[in-house]
Amino acid sequence: MLSTLSGSGAKPAKPSFVSYVTPEEINQTERECSRKEKHPDLLPGEVIFCSAGPILKSTKDDLFQRGVYGTLLCTNFRVSFVSDEAPSDEEATQLFKNKLYGENDIPLTCVDHIYGGFDDKKKLIVSGFVKNKYPSKIIVCCRDLRLFHFSLAYAKEEDAKKIFQGIVYHCLEPKSLKCVFAYSYGEKTLLNKENQTKPKTVMFATLEDWAQEMKRTKGNCKLVPNNADFSVSAKLPQYFIVPTHVTEEDLTKFDGKGIPIWCWSHHSGCALFKMASLPLMQEDASSQLYKSHVEGMLNAVAQTHLYSVKTEELSDSLPTVQDIQQSYSKFKQFFLLDNTNDFWMTDVKWFSSLEGSGWLDIIRQCLAKAVEVVECLEKENTNVLIMEEEGSDLCCVISSLVQLMFDPYYRTLGGFQSLIQKEWVVGGHRFLDRCNHLRQKDKEQSQAPVFLLFLECVWQLQQQYPPAFQFSETYLTVLSDSVDVSVFSTFLFNSPHHMATISKAALEPGQRSPVSWPTVWDWSVQFDSRAQDLFINPLYAERSRQDKPPRKTHRPKHQRHQSLPSSAFKFSPSAKKGFLKDETDSLKKMLRVKRLSRWMNSPDSAQASTREFFVAWQRRPLDYHGLLLPCLEGPTLRLWSQRYLRWIPEAQIFGGGSITIMKKLADLLAEVQDLRGNLDRRACRADFNHQGVVARAKSSIQLSSAFPFTMPRGRSFKPAIPTRQLRSLIMDDLADQDDEEPENLGVV
Amino acid sequence: MLMGSKTTFKVRQIVPDMKEKMLNYSMLHRKCRDKFGLRCLPGECVLQRAVLVRKKLSAVEGGGWLAGTLFCTHFRVAFVPQDSEKPDDNADPVLLGDHDVALASIEKVVAVGPSRTKLVTANSSLKFTPEELVLYCRDLRVLCFLFDRLTPETQAVEITYAIAKTYQPLKPGSILSFQNAALGSVEMRQFLSNRTPDSQMKLFDCEADWDGELERTGATDWRVSTINDRFEMATSLPRFNVVPQKVLDTELKKTFAHFNEGRIPRWCWRHPCGSDLLRTASFQNNIYHEKDDIRNLEAIVFGSHQQCVVVELGEEMATLVDVQLAHTRLRALCLGDISASAYVPDDRWLSTLENTRWLDHIRCCLKKAAEVACLLRAGQLTVILQEPEDRDMNCVVSSLVQVMSDPYCRTVLGFQGLIQKEWVMVGHHFLSRANYYRDSDKEEAPLFLLFLDCVWQLWAQCPTRFQFTGDYLLALHDSAHLPLFSTFLFNCQRDRSRPSQRLPQSYTPVNGCWREATPPDSTQDPLDPLFPAVWDWALQYSPQRRAQFSQPLTNSGPVHSVLNGNLNTTPHYHKPNDSTLGSVFLLSRGSFTSPSHLLPWRIGGGSGGSYRKSHRRAPSSESLSGLERLQKACLLPESCRGHSEPQELLPQLLGPCVGIWRECYLRGALQAQAYSHPASVPSHHPLDRLAQEVQQLRDRLAAAAVAGSRAKKQEPHRANVNLNQNANGGTFLFSAPRVSVARAPPPTSALPALAPRDAGKRTFLFGQSQDGRPDLRYAPMPSSRLSKKKGSSLAS
Repeated sequence: MLSTLSGSGAKPAKPSFVSYVTPEEINQTERECSRKEKHPDLLPGEVIFCSAGPILKSTKDDLFQRGVYGTLLCTNFRVSFVSDEAPSDEEATQLFKNKLYGENDIPLTCVDHIYGGFDDKKKLIVSGFVKNKYPSKIIVCCRDLRLFHFSLAYAKEEDAKKIFQGIVYHCLEPKSLKCVFAYSYGEKTLLNKENQTKPKTVMFATLEDWAQEMKRTKGNCKLVPNNADFSVSAKLPQYFIVPTHVTEEDLTKFDGKGIPIWCWSHHSGCALFKMASLPLMQEDASSQLYKSHVEGMLNAVAQTHLYSVKTEELSDSLPTVQDIQQSYSKFKQFFLLDNTNDFWMTDVKWFSSLEGSGWLDIIRQCLAKAVEVVECLEKENTNVLIMEEEGSDLCCVISSLVQLMFDPYYRTLGGFQSLIQKEWVVGGHRFLDRCNHLRQKDKEQSQAPVFLLFLECVWQLQQQYPPAFQFSETYLTVLSDSVDVSVFSTFLFNSPHHMATISKAALEPGQRSPVSWPTVWDWSVQFDSRAQDLFINPLYAERSRQDKPPRKTHRPKHQRHQSLPSSAFKFSPSAKKGFLKDETDSLKKMLRVKRLSRWMNSPDSAQASTREFFVAWQRRPLDYHGLLLPCLEGPTLRLWSQRYLRWIPEAQIFGGGSITIMKKLADLLAEVQDLRGNLDRRACRADFNHQGVVARAKSSIQLSSAFPFTMPRGRSFKPAIPTRQLRSLIMDDLADQDDEEPENLGVV
Repeated sequence: MLMGSKTTFKVRQIVPDMKEKMLNYSMLHRKCRDKFGLRCLPGECVLQRAVLVRKKLSAVEGGGWLAGTLFCTHFRVAFVPQDSEKPDDNADPVLLGDHDVALASIEKVVAVGPSRTKLVTANSSLKFTPEELVLYCRDLRVLCFLFDRLTPETQAVEITYAIAKTYQPLKPGSILSFQNAALGSVEMRQFLSNRTPDSQMKLFDCEADWDGELERTGATDWRVSTINDRFEMATSLPRFNVVPQKVLDTELKKTFAHFNEGRIPRWCWRHPCGSDLLRTASFQNNIYHEKDDIRNLEAIVFGSHQQCVVVELGEEMATLVDVQLAHTRLRALCLGDISASAYVPDDRWLSTLENTRWLDHIRCCLKKAAEVACLLRAGQLTVILQEPEDRDMNCVVSSLVQVMSDPYCRTVLGFQGLIQKEWVMVGHHFLSRANYYRDSDKEEAPLFLLFLDCVWQLWAQCPTRFQFTGDYLLALHDSAHLPLFSTFLFNCQRDRSRPSQRLPQSYTPVNGCWREATPPDSTQDPLDPLFPAVWDWALQYSPQRRAQFSQPLTNSGPVHSVLNGNLNTTPHYHKPNDSTLGSVFLLSRGSFTSPSHLLPWRIGGGSGGSYRKSHRRAPSSESLSGLERLQKACLLPESCRGHSEPQELLPQLLGPCVGIWRECYLRGALQAQAYSHPASVPSHHPLDRLAQEVQQLRDRLAAAAVAGSRAKKQEPHRANVNLNQNANGGTFLFSAPRVSVARAPPPTSALPALAPRDAGKRTFLFGQSQDGRPDLRYAPMPSSRLSKKKGSSLAS
């Protein structure tokens, strides 16, 4: 479809599109392109900025450090490498092709770092790098952990310089939101957007969605419709739910802060709330005001159920956003390795370095915190209010995890998407800032993979209870990749208000209708339906009709919290003994010695109570449609190998891995269906054949553990050494050689 | 730290009143054999009993608590669940029930009181009534029994004492009495001697098995030599050794002296590409080499090939001490220390695991084996594994190579044969390494467990390419801790045949016979128990557990019958003349050299003019990390290569790809038990269910087909035949049916015989592609019987 589109797409200018390239340049590149006739299939709205060739892309997965020659282009969407070689059209590789970008394409927002290779020295390129010098080699690290090596040595100097500067400019320089590709893409694809065939994802954009959700969980709170035009607060979603006793006046008091937002109701009636906490300053007038307000809010929350509430300030016990970022950037270095030798080097200390990054521990802490909240809701039947400064980072993580553990609906594909929509997108997680897609300097501090952390936690849960989840590991991986593709409205904005203002602004030039960006949930934008089949977990235990909904088989001891509300709601830590258990982080310990000392005597009991809760849960038969608790022991938290190891050929297990079992299961399922069909047909017709089975009897040896992201494919090389070394060793006439001392040959 | 072998226990005689009690009970149990629902072995007597006990079930068993009665006999601690069905008196005795543990595998007894825990030893006294009894076992299991409030206090105390007094791990005599308790009775001996061996199982203790192996692998220029029939040449070698055809026995005789312990290079396997795998002890340097000798030596070393690569295992691999230390640390990490209640914190777990270095040793073994496998694949080579003693790492590596390269070794039967061939027969020091008698602490090293873990790693990476399951490996792992099996109780074959006085003179070879279990002469000491081989799984495990030994789904890739031996895959380009000598290389640290000292006789001999000081640098044009590359090349899927060769199963050895054997090491860890939901333990449930469903549907389909054909009155018999074939064809779900291969390897096709009856059907459907092959000419009865049965059931 795209040759024509690229022609029109290359035309310089839609008014809404701010081009940093002069028309002349574009014309020139266009000419060059047509001359070489090598360009990728451009997307609607995509424009080529610059290109150069021949560029040598060295392929890592090869035995030899062989390379592929081709052209490197930079468009407003991606950095793309088009190989000179004829594309291999293996069926397998086509199966999981992303429609937006291919295996040699890097969406601009997906670029993590760029290194330049100057005479064997590797240098990190930062924005503002405008020197005349250009490196002979560009190394691009992607956020989905791919790694590209482009050698500029063979291109014309002028071209090489231009492409290098172009790539650096478009990838690393700060830019405005309007330059993000979603704009031009949204405009172009306006018309063929009707086919939203699978709208099972609840978008929580309307009042009904929220009402429906509250009805589903049998919550008894108040739906607030006042903010539809963001008049109450720009920080809050258009519609949200608060405890019944929160007054209109309360809502407007602190600009969206300090309001407990309802997240989810437990079947016992208690509910989970989240809140952006108010700054607790020293003694002054406002602090008094804050205190009384918070007191009032807590009262309101408590009245929802049994007059009890537990509060949890997440920043006290969980790592900060900066910690998360730091740990993750340390962690991902293990997977961004230039060459095999690096890998073997790190390999020796693999486990300890993995541990040293602390990433797994952060995951553990988040899951543990979620388990604590679950315990309060399930065992003690108290309302829980989680707080955080913004109320949109770790609050989102914890509240979505809690809901995921409790509610089987959220463990279906549609439910999970609704959950993300509810807690993250509408809930106001600052996706744009956290991803820092615009490369703004002042936002670098706030960059942190909070959403990825959540997906990691989900992955851990899913690994432990595969039959409980309708979606597959592949789905999670793809979702984590999609965050960095700047096409989807889902991950492009900081809040619903942000989105609304932006789309309103985009409307201004007098266009027919507001720009509509695709949401990520419309998977057909990225994958065709066959590839989407891989999102479904074949092991998912669907709830059969006769299954009763999860029942409180054991009636919890109905111990009413008789303590007076005002005393129960103290922020004092001692009041929530047993709630805060994890104080492992040594750094925090040092910072809060004073406060911690008071708990020092009780952590054991806290741990014991959680453990007791766990054991009690364990006694009951496991219900995949009931409450799930993750196991958090050292050996059980694992590396998300599909996401992190998929591009590293050294770590792929060919013809093995769990994927082979999955594949077999899928095959078996298919055969069951086939046989059933046969049986049905059998009723009418007499003959039958097994062709279907035979056709499917493909050997899974073709798969590797990195399926479906990388495929072992036909490579044109021969096994090297030591066979050959040995051969030559043998064939050569030994007599011709000098006598030397025995010496080791080769390496290692 | 938990150091199994280091803890010392005071030894104490069995107290007299206990002997009395034993007598009483044994009298009692003659009359009513299962008064309390415990099915005793013949001669076994109950020492103590406690009622209303609950056993904590591990995650694999389903979790929770099981109520029942706890027994202590002088062979085992047995637990009989309350509502278990009445034991069948006529059934064959099973040594250990599903909930039992043998006394000999108990390592520690810990009593948990209301406020404290205490390690109970033979002469310690309890000052409190135990509420809980925790048994730590050598095989890393931890059993936990809870006494109810209604349990009589005396019973709880008494049984704790009884267990603590009888298990006595350190006293050599106690092992003997343990063995006698289990196998010493007349009934038991009779039963054991009447056990019919599995005729498909190759024990490699007769010439026929070796011949079969030579034929299977197509190694036609090798022969079985009986020169060591009376263990005169080398005491630690088996009776039968495979040597080149062209070397006569008389010539062979002279070569023994040139090798450490007389362990000359012996053939163990031929790769389908034609390379031979040999293993040997190190050469003796200090012996004068005569010219004639040298010719023979060279002939043995080179076999049928021109080139020979010596793989020296002594220096690069972990030493025995290393392995033992790593294993001890691993135990400590996984079990924790109950008395100190010190567990590794979660966030330090991974680095602690790394520090055990157990995984490093595993990687090292796997790497070496992968290298050798790749080397063999190059074709037309003789690869010699050399180790000073040839009894430890050689076993690990040579068997791993075969597991990787030979699909047959990934079946249950093939794997058992492999262990017989590479471990039992060649004289791995099972007894010293296992240290059952606690008399060889310095020699103790769990090499066999290391090997099992290596296999598990392979299995975990490519589970679909094995016929056996993790359960099977686990069962084997546990059995290795039980000093009851002839397989693990002796250091070499000579010792193994000695106790029952079966010397070669009176020995008459019977094909495929269970020699270990042949009825002993009447002259034999009646107290000498008759040890069964470990492969008699029915003796140890219930049919339910045995049913899980083989996968419902195997054979993703076709089992390459290239290894059948009937295909002549080894075209001999040039038969080496006796006068031409080949070149020898040493593979060490991932590179080749040809140092002069490799074959000692070549230095001093100067014979035949072919000797040359041949060490030189190889023309290494590429700076390679050679073996890695080679491995990668081998790893590439079949389709990439021009012709279809058997694909090796090469492991990925990077940090993220090697894992810990959870089902084995972590099953005992109390904290891990507590924190994983039983049902979340990965199991084969969905697979089994689906497999069953497929079969049901097939049956229904078949029935419908029959009905349909009947209705049409259209040659019902013919229809059946077709159907049968169709059904069989359909069983090749995951393997390309290769009809071109005429002969199925007999052992594989006989697998259903091993599988229990009830599992037979399933195995038939999903187990082996070989089975269902229409061409059953060479396949022995079991499969044909099965398919007949199927046919008849269809007809009915």
